[in-house]
Amino acid sequence: MTVVGTVPDLGTGLARFLADVFDRPVTVSNLAHSSAGARRANVLFDAHDGERLLRLVATVLPTSEIEINPIAAEAAVRTVAEQHGVPVPHIHAVCTDPAYVGGPFFVSDRVDGESVPRRVLRLVHREGIGERVARQLGEALGRLHAIDPGLAPTELAGTGETNPAEVALTDADAGVRELLPNRPVFALGLRWLERRLPAPPERRTIVHTDARNGNLIVGANGLRAVLDWEGARRMGDPMQDMAWPALRMWRFREDEREIGGFAGREPFVAGYEAAGGQFDVERFEWWKVLGTLRWGLGLAGQADAHLDGRFPSVVMAASGRRVPELEWDLLMLLRP
Amino acid sequence: MQYRPTAGELLITIGDLLDDELLPALPPELQHKARVAANLTRILDREWRLDGDARQRERERLAALLGHEGELGELRAELTARLRAGANPAFEAASWDVLVAVGRDDLAIAKPGHDAWEGA
Repeated sequence: MTVVGTVPDLGTGLARFLADVFDRPVTVSNLAHSSAGARRANVLFDAHDGERLLRLVATVLPTSEIEINPIAAEAAVRTVAEQHGVPVPHIHAVCTDPAYVGGPFFVSDRVDGESVPRRVLRLVHREGIGERVARQLGEALGRLHAIDPGLAPTELAGTGETNPAEVALTDADAGVRELLPNRPVFALGLRWLERRLPAPPERRTIVHTDARNGNLIVGANGLRAVLDWEGARRMGDPMQDMAWPALRMWRFREDEREIGGFAGREPFVAGYEAAGGQFDVERFEWWKVLGTLRWGLGLAGQADAHLDGRFPSVVMAASGRRVPELEWDLLMLLRP
Repeated sequence: MQYRPTAGELLITIGDLLDDELLPALPPELQHKARVAANLTRILDREWRLDGDARQRERERLAALLGHEGELGELRAELTARLRAGANPAFEAASWDVLVAVGRDDLAIAKPGHDAWEGA
């Protein structure tokens, strides 16, 4: 975390916005950038409205053209999840007017704890709470999947899909043809997925799509919040959500603990079922292969964005050299 | 012929400069990029030392699997097309063995140790 000295406009803009929302003068202080993804910035700050001190986070998108979901829809689905017992930081207000800070943003409560994966794992294993966190993540997803998807905003992606698995496979096939045409491991993976394509799920649900170690806040007493709802979909296959946190990529060297490096599958599934979820192991394995293949494709896409100048960055360039890791993980999942 | 240091030795030197001298002096938002760049110099050093033999072994393995000689790029393209179209289980199993062996050579350059975990 670094204290930001060079963005007074951001503090001024946030104070002005919150003053409009709360209808009273607000002062903003202690701005600091948290670890951020490539696209969005998370800015921690304190706001004082004359009576209360609020410890907040602003999630700011640089421009509106690259949103996956409209930011208002993202905030709305997160609020629906909160109302159904999924731990998320409470959102105070959403702003789609770029006049305040230069892009759309929302302001939510700051939840204390670790979110950087290796630090999360150090905390979890120091406190001996790996099984608890895995179980709590299962419970959080079980609660999310129990929600009537009719309550989610219709602007969310995925609304019209009848078979989310088929859509995901078609997209992956097109991506591999474009970016990884001569990689035999990806061809083997696509064929495997085609042969085992699951039928449409009995129940389609809201899915988070990225609820893995790295998008969680964990404290000494366990899971505190599920973050980063930008990829949420409205009518998904719930096993997509269960499989994604099980990828080797999110274990950060704790390879024998399948779920995020926290624990094995058992407490995760037990928590899911206790919250009303129905676990389907074949569908789960299918989505685990799809997710691994898709992450390899994502790395290839990052290298591509560097090479064609859309996003020149040494980090994006290096992603291309990580493709063999995903090919290995894929081969291990496809073992004959 | 160039005088020493070799390409690999120079890459290691650049990586050490990035990691040991520049990184501590950089502002926090640039440190990750410096770390990534230092790691890339080590990948390139391993590639410089290991890639020739690795590609030779890959070509031999693919030729044996496909039953004919050829240039590496052509053999890869042929195997990819056969696997994508869907091959019989025996050929897929034989391909899997070959791709694991090729993958180990790729990882010896890109991420040594990643192949130590053979679970799912």
